[in-house]
Amino acid sequence: MKILGLDDVTFWYPATANPALENVSLDVAPGDIVALVGRGGAGASTLLLIAAGLAPRVTGGRLAGSVGRGGRAGIVLPTPWTQVSGMAFTVWDEVAFGPANLGWPVHEITRHVDRALERLEIAPLASRDPATLSGGELQRVIIAGILAMDPDLLVLDEPTAELDPEGARAVWRLVRSLAGEGKAVLLATSDVDALPDVADRIVWLEQGSVRAIGAPSLLAEDAMCEAGLGTTVAGLWRAAGLGAPYPLTVVDAVQRWR
Amino acid sequence: MALTGALAFDGVAFSYGNVAALSDVSFEVAAGERVALLGRNGAGKSTVVRLVTGLVRPDEGTVWIGDWDTAGRAPEQLAWRVGSLFQHADQQLFARTLREDVSFGPRALGFPAREVQRRTDEALDALGLHASAAQHPYDLSPALRKLAALAGALALEPALLVLDEPTAGLDRAGRARVAEAVREHAGRGAALLVVTHDLAFAAETLQRGIVLDRGRLACDEPLDRLLTSAERLKPLGLVPPPVAALSVALDLPGRPVRERDAAHTLARVAGGRSAS
Repeated sequence: MKILGLDDVTFWYPATANPALENVSLDVAPGDIVALVGRGGAGASTLLLIAAGLAPRVTGGRLAGSVGRGGRAGIVLPTPWTQVSGMAFTVWDEVAFGPANLGWPVHEITRHVDRALERLEIAPLASRDPATLSGGELQRVIIAGILAMDPDLLVLDEPTAELDPEGARAVWRLVRSLAGEGKAVLLATSDVDALPDVADRIVWLEQGSVRAIGAPSLLAEDAMCEAGLGTTVAGLWRAAGLGAPYPLTVVDAVQRWR
Repeated sequence: MALTGALAFDGVAFSYGNVAALSDVSFEVAAGERVALLGRNGAGKSTVVRLVTGLVRPDEGTVWIGDWDTAGRAPEQLAWRVGSLFQHADQQLFARTLREDVSFGPRALGFPAREVQRRTDEALDALGLHASAAQHPYDLSPALRKLAALAGALALEPALLVLDEPTAGLDRAGRARVAEAVREHAGRGAALLVVTHDLAFAAETLQRGIVLDRGRLACDEPLDRLLTSAERLKPLGLVPPPVAALSVALDLPGRPVRERDAAHTLARVAGGRSAS
């Protein structure tokens, strides 16, 4: 079973000659955590918009190839403050906005909203006005709102950009536990150091194309370090002139060092 | 009272309605100094930025920009001394081209056309944005929009540069570009106050760390010492960045926190081991 299947997808934004994505094929199954890694402009955000069904439907542009779906998707944008409904005066109502628009009965909405607030550790903010929240608090509210709609595929674009290190770790733990429950997760992050403990599969995007797909150990390979996309520890090992294979994480480095 | 520092908070308190954001916060930042403002989400960091830029006024205490009390100055007056980058940089861009946006500050301060052009060119150069200068800001990626907003702040050539999460969502190349631009600006004598969760960026670029915890000043000390102490960081919601964590885990001499220093030390120690 597939939640998402991209087959030879090429995508052009409106009024552009060069495609933002070119001949990309990718399958995501329930329980998968797939992370897109690349330099700015490599096409990760575009791929996520396609996965969430927003491109080309909302963005405009043209798509070649095919996109298959086995469930509903929900996306957290890299600019979460643009995702606030503007219709809610409390955090609870903001998180309920999505489920309410799915036409669910009230008790279902309540159950999903309460659970999402709890999982994002923001239940104490439930009665706050979203307009008074800090950037990191708001990012968690937006993630909760997406989660409350119970999507089969979670699409997360830089989900920890606004979070403090503790909050970022909590979100990564949550991603793992959601995958454990059978959700599929497709994400993009510039925090590559978090990925060895989070992702099952790394997709390396370069100028709109897939350059490599592999296990997180890909992030310690010479070519990825060369491109500035390896983990900090791998890059450091390489910069020190110590031999490959490079350690992926601090824990790996300690083992290697002994 | 005139203070010598570029920025001073003197017993500052601020609340949003009945939500207290800052209580009795005092610190100074000297000219040329590069300071990180750290802490959990909601600790009051962005409120500090709003106070420094004059968008809100302290309920108690005083915010000094050099010898100016911000309470008596409008934000457009403060722009003579303060350049800022907000957390949601998108909200700072409004012109039709990136160049027009970056040049807005110096134009608004009334500089002659040639000076506006020099400052705009230098700021675009500093962040490698010349190739995108003619584009509409909203045709650019969020990462480039962030660099554009930073270029706008640099074009003011401010004595105090205040940045809120300048690296969020940037790739490594973008982070390196920001680091170089702000270091160079501080090298010309400007004071730098950077709100960030990116402790790796802080370690590479900044010198001193001020930590807020629930609106109060919890800690103020050199970053290399702070970042290598997991026990000190934990209660403040912070985690040592990978280089600092590696330095401690491998017990590297001098506990380097910057990548270049750590790579150098690692090579030296590994060389010594294989020789012995």
